[in-house]
Parts: sequence; structure tokens; C-alpha cells
Amino acid sequence: MAAAKKLMSVSRDWRERDVRVVLVALIIAVATVATIALFASQLQRTLVSSASSFLAADRQLEAENGRPVPDAWIEEARRRGLETGQMIEFSTMVFGESGFQLVSVKAVSDEYPLRGDIEIQSSADAPRMVVSAGPGPGEIWINPRLLRLLELDIGDTLEVGSLKLTIANLLIREPDGGFRLSSLAPRVMMHVNDVAATGVLQEGSRVEFVYLFAGSDKALEDYYHWLEPQLEASHEWEGVRDGETFSRSLERAERFLLLGGSLAVLLAAVAVAVASRQYALSQRDTVALLKTLGLTGQGIGRLYLRRLALWGVAGVLGGLAVALPLFWLLVRMLSNVLERPVDVYLDPAALTPALLTALVSLFAFAYPPIRRLRSVPAMRVLRAQPGETSREAIPDMLVAIAAIFCLVWFYAGELTLVVSLLGGLALLLAVLALTGWLMVSVLRKVRGGGNAWRLALVGLYRHRQASMAQMAVFAMTLMLAATLVLVRSALLDDWQAQLPDDAPNHFLINIAPDSVDEVEAFWAERDASLDMLYPMVRGRLTELNDLPVKEAVSKDERINALNRELNLTWMAELPEDNRLVEGKWFAPGVTKGVSVEAELAERLGLKLGDRLTFTIGSEKLTEPVTSIRTVQWDSMKPNFYMAFPPGSGLTEMPGTWITSFHLDENDKTLLNEFSRRYPTVSVLEIDHIIKRIQEIVKQVTQAIEAILALILAAALVVMAAVVSATLRDRQREGALLRTLGGQQSLLVRSTMMEFALLGFFAGVLGVLAAEVSVYVLQMRMFEGEFRWHWQVILPIPLLSAILLALFGRWQLRPVLSVSPMLLLRRLE
Amino acid sequence: MNQMTDLRRVDNSPMLRVTGLTHKVRLETDTLTILQGVNLEINRGESVAIVGRSGSGKTTLLGLLAGLDTPSEGTVELDGSEISSLSEDERAKLRARRVGFVFQSFQLLPALSALENVMLPLELAGIGSPEKRARDLLERVGLGERLSHTPRQLSGGEQQRVAIARAFASDPVILFADEPTGNLDNRTGQSVSDLLMDLNREQGTTLVMVTHDESLAARCGRLLHIEAGVLTEPDTAWEKTD
Repeated sequence: MAAAKKLMSVSRDWRERDVRVVLVALIIAVATVATIALFASQLQRTLVSSASSFLAADRQLEAENGRPVPDAWIEEARRRGLETGQMIEFSTMVFGESGFQLVSVKAVSDEYPLRGDIEIQSSADAPRMVVSAGPGPGEIWINPRLLRLLELDIGDTLEVGSLKLTIANLLIREPDGGFRLSSLAPRVMMHVNDVAATGVLQEGSRVEFVYLFAGSDKALEDYYHWLEPQLEASHEWEGVRDGETFSRSLERAERFLLLGGSLAVLLAAVAVAVASRQYALSQRDTVALLKTLGLTGQGIGRLYLRRLALWGVAGVLGGLAVALPLFWLLVRMLSNVLERPVDVYLDPAALTPALLTALVSLFAFAYPPIRRLRSVPAMRVLRAQPGETSREAIPDMLVAIAAIFCLVWFYAGELTLVVSLLGGLALLLAVLALTGWLMVSVLRKVRGGGNAWRLALVGLYRHRQASMAQMAVFAMTLMLAATLVLVRSALLDDWQAQLPDDAPNHFLINIAPDSVDEVEAFWAERDASLDMLYPMVRGRLTELNDLPVKEAVSKDERINALNRELNLTWMAELPEDNRLVEGKWFAPGVTKGVSVEAELAERLGLKLGDRLTFTIGSEKLTEPVTSIRTVQWDSMKPNFYMAFPPGSGLTEMPGTWITSFHLDENDKTLLNEFSRRYPTVSVLEIDHIIKRIQEIVKQVTQAIEAILALILAAALVVMAAVVSATLRDRQREGALLRTLGGQQSLLVRSTMMEFALLGFFAGVLGVLAAEVSVYVLQMRMFEGEFRWHWQVILPIPLLSAILLALFGRWQLRPVLSVSPMLLLRRLE
Repeated sequence: MNQMTDLRRVDNSPMLRVTGLTHKVRLETDTLTILQGVNLEINRGESVAIVGRSGSGKTTLLGLLAGLDTPSEGTVELDGSEISSLSEDERAKLRARRVGFVFQSFQLLPALSALENVMLPLELAGIGSPEKRARDLLERVGLGERLSHTPRQLSGGEQQRVAIARAFASDPVILFADEPTGNLDNRTGQSVSDLLMDLNREQGTTLVMVTHDESLAARCGRLLHIEAGVLTEPDTAWEKTD
């Protein structure tokens, strides 16, 4: 079947314009989806491992009751193939030659850290080094501040309890040096096997045993499943996603990637659908001839199905050939941003969406119009038959809509996203149909203007169906692109606003009430202004409406806040970044009531008026809930679950003060002076955490920009596909106009004007639709605040008008460059 | 030789028998009658020209006779098969083995070479060694040197020769030609029609041709007129002018 085979060969197909568009669309679809999927899974992995390093592991199990967990638990974890490690954290006095100091000790096993790394210095002037294991037995690594406080040197001896350890390195950064209020004093790190010899851990000492686990998500899940029934209240299982500070950044990044993925799918689908319909239309003559020559409808079906399969294979292979280098490039970029090598992780599962996209694109978008070729009448060889009516394409559209719905759902995995996205698109299409109809009717009545203007209007009217379809696609493409750009900047602004360059990066804790003023003055003199100072009283929430709280709350909820002491405060005014969601803030002079953080309130099932009882030392304090407020956990400022009014019972309780402030890296030596003057005040340095968060933000931004570029490329193909659909008609008309004596300049002007009008209206509609969808997304998904983007409402339509006018001019080239005679014959 | 007998029955039954053929097209507001009660018999080996003005219904008639379309009323019996009662696919199979076509606009597939265009119906009909037969036929129409050329590289006359070679490729019992010289100049048209008539005679094919080229029509054994959907046959035999 040499001839018939040749009819189906992809290499021959490639020479046909419409097939080229279908194949390019398919390749871009597969490439976009594959790149996004691969990169998203890589990013996810990198982000999670980045975030995991905050735990120094994938999961941590903390025993706050001062007792190690049974060995069997650790054995079981190893048996399940998990990596394990151990830490013991406690506070103690250490003694140097010239004095002593309270330190916070972290004793680590050989495996520490399972994730992330440690930064050290071999002397105060030596360059910083990154190492992947802690100190060996007999060694101790200490915070540089301690070196100065105790006037020690590297190589000196430090006594921890009854054990003498050699100071081997300065400890600059530990991966899990996060927010632990237990780590108030300068940090020292030693080997876990040395702890027993120090003799400092006695029955009843305040000590935390922490166990580290790393491994596959599945193994970790399974292990937790096994472990959970045996856990006691004092045990806390912590994963990356529980960490309040980072989970939001991660979640938002994830959602954005998903959204980008869905939009790419949508654009690809539109491109494939448009181009293949065009292809099917162009094949009608061939099909009629083949039928005349005796090929049955079934034979036609088989012929084109085989062809479609070949396209699928070519599309997938071509798409992957584009995606893999692109992905590799993105990973390179990622490691540049992170300033560390990133392992390329080629997730085989990430190829599934690409294959699925190719399959669905072919069978839901390309196949329906091609399938209908079977019913092309053979009579067409003798006489032009009425072409397809748009009514015949309705089932295609239904199939396409269903497929889009399923695909986007598959990608986003979230019904809200799918419904709001597709709902927005449906609304846009409806508005478009109406506006397009109105526009065409109104423009038709417009009089005046030159010949070119009149021709442009006539052109728009004559192609009104095509014009409306093109406008719809342009507007949709613009909307998707604009939505992405707007959401991207909203996300970035959001992050930047959370972590400005002068974000607080140090906490002062344990400030005695009578030295508050002095501390404030100390920093004011040195040009570092403290944020709000908050009083802090440690207390436990023990009763809810006079019932013990653990009975009052559903057993299913494991609420960390109930297992530990809470930091209680009082404040006169609602902090700037908190928002009231229920109730009223304390009026001046009010001394009763408590304001509860919204998420905790929800988990505890609290309503306004519920009575909360706190146990503070030996005292009890009972207050009704008078308001519920949200808190910005990632603001790097002191945040509180429970806030009381000034003058409440809490003010009578013993407490200390806390504040945060920004200190430049160059001024860090001020901390030594401060610590010497106020030895009881603890300084918590979180500047490296902030740096890490900014790093993540940078990483995600890069990813978002890369994905944006891919999606815009897909959008361009859609545009090309749609415009090429009317190319032949337009060229024929142009040739006719020239034959009839129309001047080239008239043709050029009228065509450019027609396209400019199209572009302008599409731009206006696209931007408006984008605003609506951004509004929905912001409100629903990103929990951000919405504002209008006035600055883009005019530029985008103008830009799209100019671009389309140029595009129209460009596609006129063949009409202008050859004689009308030749052109007419060629187009026959 | 059963198959042969089947394909080329030597009995006296007509190759084409049309009874009460009427074709109507429904328009938006009313119904247009294109053919009105056509009755016709064409015998084996006959060559018949159907002439008429544009819009007289001759192309519609040709399409119905060849089974490309089905009539609103009446029957068409082609080589013993009642084609108006066959399904579309059955009609396609019938065409593959027994019917050849020559069109005004040649209808060659632009992507295939001359040789491949001729091979196509042979492959579709499942006839053995299609390449040899296609080569022979192209030799016969004088294009032996142009086998690998695509339609774009051939002149109009050459394209129509390829189309004629294709029409005879599957050894049809009947050939339908729709204005075969309509797109060609006089001289080329003359040589193309010579070729068509010669091959037709050599192969003993029944020929049904629609044309308004009077000289071409004159070369057919029988002449039918169609006007406003009504077919008439002049009482007297057509006097040959050439």
C-alpha cells in the first residue's frame, strides 16, 4: 500500500500547513505540560528538602516529657527503611576559664542532620564552611557570641557538667535552628554519646529528646500510621507542612504551579482544536475523492485514526525532545538561584500528565472534527457541497468542554479551581458573543472615515463569525496571560510585603519588666528601633466552659497548643497585621475578655462568649472570648494565640517582655555588648531563617516566571492557529481586491485596521475578564486582598491592537509579493 | 473465471438502468426539483454523452448514476446492482471494483506522485501488483518519463492524462466523465479526448460523459439532452461531424 501509506506519513503531513499547526500545537502542549510537571515535581522536591532542612529531617518526633522514646519505635523505623537520627536538647551552665554561662545544648548523633547542612567556622576570621555532620565525641561547637562572652578561643576546653570538651569549631548556622523558645541561651552543639558522661541530666531535668526521620513520603506515612496509636500527649510528630512559617509559602507556590499547569493545558487544547478543525475542513476534498475511488467510511475512519495516532507519537516524542532540555535548563537555573547543586530528579510520574494531555488533545479536541470526515459526501468531487454548519460542531464543543473540565480537574485536583476557572471562561465567552454581536452591528452603521476604514469595517462584518471566534480566542488567551501576570505580581508583592528587607530578624526575649525602658533606650541610642514590646506570661489553657479542655474538645483533633504552655499577652490595640473576624476589640478601659487566634478558635470550636480558663503557675484566670482574629504567622513578629486587655487579671501574673527588631549583619557585634549589659535577656537570631525564606521566594519566583514564559508561548501558537484558519479566505479576498484595482496601500491599511480593531476589543474584554478571575482567585485561593490593576487596563488593549495589526500586515505578505493572477491560481 | 463473468457479464442486460429518477433538494423555504422522472437504459460498451446548459441537472444526474449520491425517488441499477438500495459503504465497494471517474478539475491528490495517484485505486480495490499496472498505464498515456512528478509539476493536460490512467487502472466496467476537457485549451482538450476515446474502445468500457463540448459529445455513440431536470433523447442518431 505504498501510495496509501504515503498518504498517512507524518513526514508528508508536515508539508501541509494545517498539520504543521496541529503538530506544533501538540508538541508545545506536551512540552509545556511535561516541563511544568517535571519542574513542578523537581521544585516540590527541592522546596520540601529545603524546608525539610528546617527540621534537619523529613519528620521529627519530639518527646517533651524528658524521657527517651522506646527503642522499639526507632527499630521499627529502621526496619521500614527510614533513616533515623537523634538529638537531645537541654539547657545547662557551661564553664570556661574566665566564667560561666547558661547555654542551650543540642547533642546530636552521627546521622544529624538527615536533611540540610551545618555552617561552621574554624576560627573567628576563617571563612564559613558547610559540613554535613555535627561534632564528634569529645568535641563541642559553640556560638561565636559565647566565645566572646567567656573569652575563649578555638582549641580551649569547655566544661559541660563534669565533662571537658574541646572547642573545635564555631557554630554559625544549624539547619533546624528555627523558632524554639527553649533555645534562649547561646547554642552549643556536642555529640549525643557524651551526654551521659556530663551527668547534667537528672530525673526531672527539663530535657527534650528529639528523633529525626527521613525517607519516602509513603514510608513516613506508613510509619506514622503504625506509631500514632502509641504516642502520648507529650509526644509531638512534626512534618514540614506543620511548620507554620513555611507551609503557606509552599502551599501558595504549589497552587500557582497547578494553576499555571491548568492554563497551559487549556491553551494547548484550544490550539489543537482550532488547528485540527481547520485540517479536517481542508481534507474534505481528499476524503470525497477517496470515497469516489471506493474507500468506505470505515476505511476513511481507519486512515485518519492511524494518522492521528502517528501525530500522537510524533507530538509526544517531539514534546519530550523539547521538554527535557528545557527542564534541564530550568534545573540549572534553580541551582544557580540556590547557589548549590540541585540533583536532577526526573520523575517518571510527571510524564503521565504529558501523555494524558497528548491523548486527550488528540481524542477530545482533534478527533471529533476529523471523525466527521467519514460522512463527507462523495458527491463533493462533482460539486461543492454546503460546508459544515456550526450546528454540526456543537457536539465537538460539548466533548471539548467535558474534556477540558476533566483535564483541569486532573491537574489542579481541586474543584474550586476548575469551577471558577471554567466558570470564568464560560462567562467570558457569553459576554464575548454578546459584545461581538453588538460591536459588529454598531460598527456596521458607522459611516464616514476613509476607504481603508470602511473596508476594515466591512471586513469585520463579512467575517463576523470568524471575527468573533478570533476575538474570543484572543480575549481568552489575553485573559489567561493577564491572569497569570497579575497573580504572579500579587503573589510576589504579597511575599515581599511579608518580608521586606528590614523585616525583624532578631527577637529579644525574657526582658524583665523593670528593664524594658532601658533595653528600649539601649537600641534607640544605636539606631535600631524595636518593634512593639509585648508582655508575655506562660500559661496553659486548661478549661473550656468549666470543663477540662481535653474533654471539651474532640479527641480526633491533636492540638499542639493544648499540649504546651502558651504565651499569653495583653495589648491595648490590635496589631497592624492582625484582622478581626468576629467580635469586637477591647474598648478602652475594658479589662475583661480574651481575643483568640482564628485557626485555633476553629479547631477548638470556640464561639464568642465561651469561657476559657488558663492555669498560670498556681493561679487560674477565666475570661470569656470577646473576639477572634487572624494572625500573620510568617510576619517574623511576636504573635500570640491569646491576647487580653490591659488591666486584666493577667497583668498581675509574673511575666517578661518580648520584642523583635531588625539588625544589619554588620551590626551584629552590638549583640555582644547588649548581652554583657543585660545577661538575662535572651537574643534569638533568626536572620538566617529570613534569608532562607527569601531564598525560597526567589526560587519560586523563578519557577513562576519560567512557567509563565512557556504558557505565553502556548498562547502564541493558539493565536497563530486561529488566524491561519481564515488565512486562505483573506488572501483570496486580497488577491481579488488587487485584481479589481485596489491599491496595495489601501489593502494594507484596511487589513491592519481590521486587525487592530479586533485586537483592541479582545484586549479590553481580556483584561476585564482577567480582573474578574484574579478577584475570584485572590479571594478564594490565595487569601490575599484584591485591588484593581488600573495600570494595565489601557496598555494591554493598545498593545494587543498594535500586535495584531502587525500580525495582519505580516500575513498579507503573500498577497502583496506576487501577481494577483498567480495568487488566484495558487489559491484555487 | 467466475469472478470475471461476474464483473463483465456478457448477457444482454443493460449496464445501467434508470427508472423514475427524481431528485429534490430542500432549501430553507421550499423544495427544488433538480431531476424529474428520468428513465434511461445504457447498454454494455455504449458511449453516451449527456449535454445540457449549466444548472440543467447534468452533474446531479452523473452523481446519481455513479452512486455518489442517492435519489429522492426512483432506482438506479448499475451492472445488475440496485445501487439506490445499497448503503454508502456498499456503494463505495462497488465503485472501487467497477467504476472509473474522470473529472473536470482532475482531482489528483497533490501530495502524491503521478505513479502513486494511479496506484491509489488499485490499492483501495486490493488489486495485485499495483505498481506495474500503474506504470504500464502511465506509459500508455505518454507519461512514462514523468512517473515521480507531483500534480503541481505537471501541466493541465498532463494532469488529466494521469487522471485518465487512474480511471482505467482498476479495469472498470463503466467510466463516468464530468467535463473531462472543460479545464483545457482546445488543442490539449483534443488530445486528451482522443486518449479517453481510444482507451475506452481498447478496454471495452461503457462510457457516460457529461459535457458541453459539442465536438467531444459528437464522438460518443449516443447523445442525450438534459434541460431543467428532464432528459430527452433526439429521435435521430447524431450526425458525426468529424
